[in-house]
Amino acid sequence: MIWRIASFAVAAGFVGLWQLIANLKLISPVFLPGPDRAWAALMRGFATGDLTSKLVGTLEHMAYGWLAASVAGIALGALIGSSRLMRIYIAPSLEFLRPLPVSAIIPVAIAMLGLTQGMALFVIAFGAIWPIMLATIHGFAAVEPRLYEVARALQMSRPAIVFKIALPSALPDILAGMRLSLTVALILSVVCEVLAGLDGLGHWVLLSARAFRSADLFAGVILLGATGYVTSIAMSLAERRLLAWQSTR
Amino acid sequence: MTVLARLDEAKAARQQKPLITFNGATLRLGGKTIIENLDLEVRPGEFLCIVGASGCGKTTALRLAAGLYRPTGGAVTFDGQPMLEPRREVAIVFQDYGKALLPWRTAAGNISLALEACGIPVRERPDRIAELLRKVGLPAHAEKYPAEMSGGMQQRLQIARCLAQEPTTLLMDEPFGALDAMTRQGLQDEVLSLTAASNTTVVFVTHDLDEAIYLGDRVIGLLPHPGRIGIELDVNLPRPRDQLATREHPEFLRLRRQLFDFIKATEH
Amino acid sequence: MSLERTKPLLLPLVVLLVFELWARLAHLQSDSLAPPSAVLAALAAALADLTIPIATRDTLLAAFAGLTIGSVIGLALGIAFGVSSMLDRLMEVTIEAIRPIPSIALLPIALIALGFGYRMEIVIVAFACVWPMLILSRTAVRRVEPRLMEVSRALRLTPVQRIIKIIIPAALPRIFVAFRLSAGIALIVAVTVEIAINPLGLGAGIMQAQQALRADLMLAYLVWIGIIGYGLNFALVVVQRRMFGRAAIAGAGS
Repeated sequence: MIWRIASFAVAAGFVGLWQLIANLKLISPVFLPGPDRAWAALMRGFATGDLTSKLVGTLEHMAYGWLAASVAGIALGALIGSSRLMRIYIAPSLEFLRPLPVSAIIPVAIAMLGLTQGMALFVIAFGAIWPIMLATIHGFAAVEPRLYEVARALQMSRPAIVFKIALPSALPDILAGMRLSLTVALILSVVCEVLAGLDGLGHWVLLSARAFRSADLFAGVILLGATGYVTSIAMSLAERRLLAWQSTR
Repeated sequence: MTVLARLDEAKAARQQKPLITFNGATLRLGGKTIIENLDLEVRPGEFLCIVGASGCGKTTALRLAAGLYRPTGGAVTFDGQPMLEPRREVAIVFQDYGKALLPWRTAAGNISLALEACGIPVRERPDRIAELLRKVGLPAHAEKYPAEMSGGMQQRLQIARCLAQEPTTLLMDEPFGALDAMTRQGLQDEVLSLTAASNTTVVFVTHDLDEAIYLGDRVIGLLPHPGRIGIELDVNLPRPRDQLATREHPEFLRLRRQLFDFIKATEH
Repeated sequence: MSLERTKPLLLPLVVLLVFELWARLAHLQSDSLAPPSAVLAALAAALADLTIPIATRDTLLAAFAGLTIGSVIGLALGIAFGVSSMLDRLMEVTIEAIRPIPSIALLPIALIALGFGYRMEIVIVAFACVWPMLILSRTAVRRVEPRLMEVSRALRLTPVQRIIKIIIPAALPRIFVAFRLSAGIALIVAVTVEIAINPLGLGAGIMQAQQALRADLMLAYLVWIGIIGYGLNFALVVVQRRMFGRAAIAGAGS
């Protein structure tokens, strides 16, 4: 607890240092606003609702894309992971595609769908599906064989085996994949907003930068950091709840 | 009195139709013959123990009886029908309880799995689960996850899940092999009383000769490479068995000697 | 055995073949799709007239410069935090506050401070590479066999000697894994920055091809970026096996 307080004090010290640098104009205020100005811009943005609507826009892009990727990724991963044939024929192709920088798909998506919400959703979902799908395949392939024998001895049906044995067994892997995808979804949301001018924080920070409104720019960046932080915490809480059986080990 | 009654029972059982039959059963896996031409009959209500050196195919024989393997030659039948797939009246208790339980379900949830598979309606399940947990001595641990339980408790839980199937036959694969001596003796007596009460047929695989004689009505010793029957002993020890008295019984010591010599001869 | 190895290739080959046939039979006219043969031809042409090699050089230059800077900073911080748990605890809140900022969000800041070009791209790549390096090397240092630390104390090594002679070599296999991860991230971030805004390298090339409605060239860039990504990962895996084949296994044992 004492360490925590000390740690907060150190962080406060850094903010103070930042304020000092800004006050002494060591770096031009055009580039670096002080924390006071950034905070004021943040509050103003919330008060007028401008920043709020941008935040909601980014959260929407992120959430829809991520949810679509989760549903599709788990379904496809389960299908491929539970079939030996699919694992032989399909999984290597997927592994091959894994190191591809997913943002490279953006121009293709723009060519197909234009600078639209649909394009953003497709790109975000496409980028976020990989970690989830590959983790699900791995999780399904790694189910303890003894559990499948238990299921056979109980003459469980195929759907029952998937939902009661394989899926819960693969859940730790799936959640790890979903956590990775969350970061990917946030980054791709910002990129798509920058490129397509869609309503969101990415667009906001770009416009602020172009107009040299550095306080607004920093407010947007702070908000993006907070988004990343809060979603990651939420994911941790979900993991802790869903994997309670694991933490007792 | 009880001794005589039990002996009569055993005699009567001998005349009954066998429940499980191995008829020249052979199993080849990946070019290796694991079991060859095994003939074996398990009578209803009998407690049969199978012993043998490691690698003699005793676990494989049990898996054939469970329907987890299909024989590549001969036949394995249950109640007159070929045993090609597992069936609910035959439950199997695995040695590695840690792998056979669902780590994400509580004790109650693990038992519920079997009830779900048997199609027991939701509202009947809690009572059944409570009763089964009480039977195996875990009434206070319903909400614990397997990882929070000791090895002995986990094995009790697996037995409870098997009993939830209401099996007529219990197949046990070295169930107490990984447990310490005290826990093991307690569980031996519990299995004896549980199965005697419901007149369940038991096939019990173990590498512990004392355990086999202590538990069984009959002990079969398998020879390795490929697995086949090497010795068959009837155990005419009084029931209920007692950890001290039974193990000091002259007949127990005689059987123990005989079995020990057999195993030693197979190992060279 | 050789049959087993060809199985994974079956699916991509069939897909490409079907697509090629379909594109030819349907006389495909599209801004977003082109038959594989046309893509291959465009790739060959762009390789021959050096547009792709130059773009590749630009992208890799920015990615590696950022990777180097980010790795050095991340490694230094990671070792410092791994050795001194006091420092680690004091910096925890600060680090946790900065880390979740998506690297790409820094793009506008870097843009107004540094303008278009290599420098802003390098800064963003470096920022992205600091974190995996920091987190993983901190763990690596913490997991150095305690017995080795006792040896270094028995030998009365100075702190600097201890870091150079004991800690870094012992943690090296894990640190290399972190480096491999960071290298992948560096390439992804570099390409993303170029696609989003920076007019250089492969990312800018693929965007220009898209805007010029050259589907074949755009897809050729996509394939090439995939090859670069795969090749980079493959090369680093090979290096890792060569360098740490046995040590890596021993190091991962704990």
